[in-house]
Amino acid sequence: MVLRVHAAYGEVKQLLQATRPDVICVVAGDHVEGFFLTDVPALAVYVGSSVSGKFDRYRYTFDVHEPLARAVLEQGIERGFDLAYSQDLALDYAFFVPLHFTMPEPRVPIVPLYVNVYLPPQPTPARCYAWGQALRAILDARPERVALMASGGLSHFPGTDQYGSPDYDWDRQMLDRLVAGRGAETAALTGEELDKAGNVEFRTWITLLGAVGPARARVICYEPSWHHGNATVTWPVA
Amino acid sequence: MSLHYTFPPASGYLLNRCLYQLKSDDTFRERYLNDPEATLREAGLDLERIAALRALDRDRLLALGAHAYLVFMASLRLKMVTAPQTFERF
Repeated sequence: MVLRVHAAYGEVKQLLQATRPDVICVVAGDHVEGFFLTDVPALAVYVGSSVSGKFDRYRYTFDVHEPLARAVLEQGIERGFDLAYSQDLALDYAFFVPLHFTMPEPRVPIVPLYVNVYLPPQPTPARCYAWGQALRAILDARPERVALMASGGLSHFPGTDQYGSPDYDWDRQMLDRLVAGRGAETAALTGEELDKAGNVEFRTWITLLGAVGPARARVICYEPSWHHGNATVTWPVA
Repeated sequence: MSLHYTFPPASGYLLNRCLYQLKSDDTFRERYLNDPEATLREAGLDLERIAALRALDRDRLLALGAHAYLVFMASLRLKMVTAPQTFERF
């Protein structure tokens, strides 16, 4: 299974290698790593020149596309999203893991976009979707060619009695909806439903779905492990 | 059924801070492993919370306001140090 997930990541890397974006914007949740209970932003943008973090034996640093990060922050605020920002934050592994496997060569800078997923109250699915729509409008007006990536999920319940019983059916039904281009329906989900499905992190997907609109998902893989549903999905947009 | 991840009450703040540091702060984790009692006392925990954390008693920790994900990851990080052979790396 691990090899199949790695192969799916390999396909995404090839796609990024072939399309050569100038920037990869990554929407991910923080696993109480960069943000602790000292500050808990619902939505945040990292606006520094580079960002580093550690995960187990890995130490990583990525260049940040500062002009784009700043534009997303400023224009997001203009559009009514009260974004937090940081210029000094430990980058969570939710950003690192997909980039570790998919970063094209030569590397491109990133823009880390945070959605609070683990520290209630989290932003509502409707708000995440709306932020994704605004993000799309901001990115469409920029000169850079941008790849948008979301990291998180699918069903898993770390630290709870349900750890060994992810809701694979929820994941599969959701992927079917996304393949049909019905991502807009995710804006009507509730936070309670996400929590019960082990999908608090699905908020990062919902944000991306706001940005890709009716584009149909292509599911490269869905691999259930004993504690986690792993999916790799692409959305080709014009 | 109640939610899996709930608002962390202020009464659990110091406990959550210790769990966070056990998860993410190598120096704190090392100090804890060398002298758990003193490290947690210095971090401001009372005897009840020290006992719950040292036992990694999840239900007790949750009742004291700990966040489920932090309990999980702090326990995992400690186990990675104390029983590294039980982990598979990819």
